Amino acid sequence: MRLMAPVFAGLLLITEFAIAQITPEEISIETMPERGDNWFIGKTGNGGYIFDASNGEMKGMLSLSRYTPAVTFSPPREEFYAAESYLSRGAHGDRTDIVAIYDYENLSPIAEIEIPNYIARLQVRSHLGLLNNGRHLAVLNMNPGHSVTIVDVEDRIFTHEASTPGCAVIMPVSDNDFLQVCGDGTLQLIQLDLSGFEENRVRSDVFFSVIEDAVFDRVASSSNGWFLVTHSGTIFHVTTDDDEIIISEGWNPRSEAEKNWRPGGRNEIITAHHASGLIYLAMHEGPIDTHHEPGTEIWVLDSNTQRRISKIELSTPANSILVTQEDDPKLLIVDSEGASHVYDAFTLSYERSIQIPGSTAFEDL
Amino acid sequence: MKLEKIIDRTYYWIDDNARRASLTMARKLSRRNFLSRLGMLVAGAASFPLLPVSRSFAQESVEEIGDPQSCDYWRYCAMSGTLCSCCGGSYTSCPPGSEASPITWVGTCTNPVDGRDYLMSYNDCCGKAVCARCSCHNTEGDKPVYFNSNSSTVLWCFGTENTSYHCTVSLVIGAADE
Repeated sequence: MRLMAPVFAGLLLITEFAIAQITPEEISIETMPERGDNWFIGKTGNGGYIFDASNGEMKGMLSLSRYTPAVTFSPPREEFYAAESYLSRGAHGDRTDIVAIYDYENLSPIAEIEIPNYIARLQVRSHLGLLNNGRHLAVLNMNPGHSVTIVDVEDRIFTHEASTPGCAVIMPVSDNDFLQVCGDGTLQLIQLDLSGFEENRVRSDVFFSVIEDAVFDRVASSSNGWFLVTHSGTIFHVTTDDDEIIISEGWNPRSEAEKNWRPGGRNEIITAHHASGLIYLAMHEGPIDTHHEPGTEIWVLDSNTQRRISKIELSTPANSILVTQEDDPKLLIVDSEGASHVYDAFTLSYERSIQIPGSTAFEDL
Repeated sequence: MKLEKIIDRTYYWIDDNARRASLTMARKLSRRNFLSRLGMLVAGAASFPLLPVSRSFAQESVEEIGDPQSCDYWRYCAMSGTLCSCCGGSYTSCPPGSEASPITWVGTCTNPVDGRDYLMSYNDCCGKAVCARCSCHNTEGDKPVYFNSNSSTVLWCFGTENTSYHCTVSLVIGAADE
């Protein structure tokens, strides 16, 4: 015991010396690094989680209203735009709908524009569209009739509300126009003027039957237009030429033996890689009216040859998918149990799973 | 579409029966006899108190089978949302303090008891936080959002003071084969 006392004293001295050498840490706040390849937003009920799909690292988060249909990013302006809806007392009280603008550096709200209080409060990517001029943002309304609110994100003003009865979905085309899918089996083209007001409106010929084989209200952008798919899996490509709506002949990737296979999922079921023309489609086997059944397989289709070239068989079926637009694209999948996964979109090999609690869909960044 | 057909058929049935009754009376009764009986009927009617008219009294009620707290219950074939029957309400009533949306989506479900198809109205109950019990998503006859009268995905809290979604009820509004 006599020997131990000096040993303890020595240890105490050493410890105190070591503590004295540590500089107290100070809290700091990160800012967003420069955007990298294959970054994406995992959309949930309360925000947008930003990830790098290449390594699965989270970069930051946007706080969004629980009713936000979608969020979109403007690369030249380095801003995010989201349609949001709030009730003043949470579950009740006065309703205020806005387009919120967030900066890239801090993912913080920097402006908001009040819009008519009836945005369609569903998590659907195509209920929000930044038109190709990068200036006008279109937001789908439902009250319960459909209309579209136009916001000028440059001047930060609400410009116009276009009544669009029987038509929903927003598919930006040309410079300042957008297409919609209508319940009478047609497409509607709305062309805006420079100020964001409706200048012209055109309707296509009837090309599908909503009763016999409806076109999904989930769509995928292509290099020059949009891919639409029906409940039975027939795919159409639609483009415009000034005020003309051009709809391709429909084609179906199913073989005779696959007549019971159908597209389906609770959220985004179709996505396309622009440069390669590859389409990814969530498919399952089942009878009609199973269009919200998650996909047990992802079919990879070549839109150029109009043939299926491969497929991914999933252990847990997919509710929502998105392919990034890089030269080495990633295929992102939310499965029916809420887990998020990354695949190489060309080799179709599984790469990793990422924890995004409550993830419902993805946005490319 | 089916609702319009039912209304049209109901009007046709009333017109047709009124026409038949008038023709029968015209054939069988003299004008004086008809007027005297009509007078008695009017005088007699005045002596009865005005009773409240219950629509359900005139209609047969729907026979039920199954568990209303299960998504497999026959009324829920085109239901999407959470079941009010699990949240302090029933399949026809909203839970306390919530507000019934007057605007709905519709579907057609087959009742396994009588094998008949019934026109269903799915009304959202609104104004409270979502009751997250007994989530139920069936898509029989469901259509995309652009065809919203048959779209179960839509939040139907329209025309209510508060627009937050609480749960959903399913009301029979008629037999599809009538």
